[in-house]
Amino acid sequence: MQARFFFSEAISSLVKNWVMSVAAIVTVLVSMFILGLGTILFFNFQNAFSDLRNSLRVEVFMKNTASPEKIQELGQEIEAMPEVRDVEFISKEDALNKLRESLEGHEDLLEAISGNPLPPSYVITLRDPDSIDLVATRFFDNPLVDNSPGTHDGVKYAKETSEKVLSVTTYFFIGGTGFVVLLILASILLISNTIRLSIFARRREVEIMRLVGATNWFIRWPFIMEGVMTGMAGAAAAVALILLANNFLIESVVSKMPFFFKTGTVPLFWIVLIVILGGTLLGSGGSGLALRRFLKI
Amino acid sequence: MIIFDHVSKMYDPNIMGLEDVNVHIERGEFAFLVGHSGSGKSTFIRLLLKEFEPTEGTITVAGRNLQRMRRGTVPYHRRNIGCVFQDFKLLSNKTVADNVAYALRVTGQPERTIRRKVPEILQLVGLGEKMYNIPDELSAGEQQRVSVARAFVNHPSLLIADEPTGNLDPDTSVGIMQLLYRINRTGTTVVMATHDREMVDKMRKRVIALENGKVIRDEDKGLYR
Repeated sequence: MQARFFFSEAISSLVKNWVMSVAAIVTVLVSMFILGLGTILFFNFQNAFSDLRNSLRVEVFMKNTASPEKIQELGQEIEAMPEVRDVEFISKEDALNKLRESLEGHEDLLEAISGNPLPPSYVITLRDPDSIDLVATRFFDNPLVDNSPGTHDGVKYAKETSEKVLSVTTYFFIGGTGFVVLLILASILLISNTIRLSIFARRREVEIMRLVGATNWFIRWPFIMEGVMTGMAGAAAAVALILLANNFLIESVVSKMPFFFKTGTVPLFWIVLIVILGGTLLGSGGSGLALRRFLKI
Repeated sequence: MIIFDHVSKMYDPNIMGLEDVNVHIERGEFAFLVGHSGSGKSTFIRLLLKEFEPTEGTITVAGRNLQRMRRGTVPYHRRNIGCVFQDFKLLSNKTVADNVAYALRVTGQPERTIRRKVPEILQLVGLGEKMYNIPDELSAGEQQRVSVARAFVNHPSLLIADEPTGNLDPDTSVGIMQLLYRINRTGTTVVMATHDREMVDKMRKRVIALENGKVIRDEDKGLYR
């Protein structure tokens, strides 16, 4: 019976202040939508980046003058390194074949080259992409490696790429989090303002409730429900939009760029749950704030 | 029923609401609280309702010391006090019956009790025919009757009326006074703050006169003067 009373009071209040209610619902919608979409994107990027990071390799080019025995010894040394997952030897001939393949249709270019100037090399795949620096520096001073004097250009590794990938992920994460935090604050304040208006609109009821001895919680409940319903309405709309966006936008991007995004890796169920819970929390937070500040019992 | 023991209430360091008030009102008594605006009548009433605390002294209502009362029990204290105000304090978007029922509903009474009690009390105040009208369709006197009905529907042991006839013409006022008198006859203590000289003189009940926050006169079967 009481729950019904609270519910109907909350609904009538929402309808009476519909402009503010809509504003609050839309803010919750926007913040929760961005939170949800951001999470989906985050998962996608994380997958893509971890693929990219895992494909980071170190290429070590040998001097053409190095003897095959020494080269083989180095290969065994590399294989013995604990950070190395896999090592592949590319002989002079392999290198030339690869070049030829990549020049398909323009083979005549190769005719200008006499003999085979390409050096043999090792392609090292790492267990942990973070150890790329450590492994690469080991070859900087190796006499077998084809470094020009004073440089390490015989060792090719994607130091910059790896750093960029890391920093882009970090900026993306920080920026997104900051944005969502701001939106969450805005939602809480707007909900709190909505509740404040409805406290004001119903000050007479509140006064009478106090006089006839309604308990404090009895007076508070309709306002809390109003806030929670506002939050949940916004979250529900956000969920609908997120699912829609996930179906149409992201999936189409994924199908166009399958090398970058992978489907089926986003925990949609959890995102929906988080968004709904988030909206509800925003609602109760907002009404709690308003009740503390404006409802004198 | 009500004991004010050396009660003072200061709003600001300079503004005195009540000063050293000692009043003892017995159960079942009818007492008028008279005095000019700003003499402390409203402070007296709001202290009774525990809307705020006295600066000094102790207030006891129905055997309970209000200073020792926990915040959470204040609502239950108020359920034992009916209130009638000059401006009626009715909800204009609810019917007469719903206005009275509201007092029962917000104190968590079952719907069955509400359906039984509301028509009963409205008959008692003479508004049985107007249960489903909204307050705006009623005369001022009738609206005040609704307010009295709401205050009395829980059968409180104390009824407080703050200038209940302030907005009413003399004839209508008599009707409200008769209603309050009848309620008093059922054993309910009634405290009524008023400016209505004629009414006080006619009733010859206890009169407590306040001026600048002090009790300047307290006599049985008194006059307004």
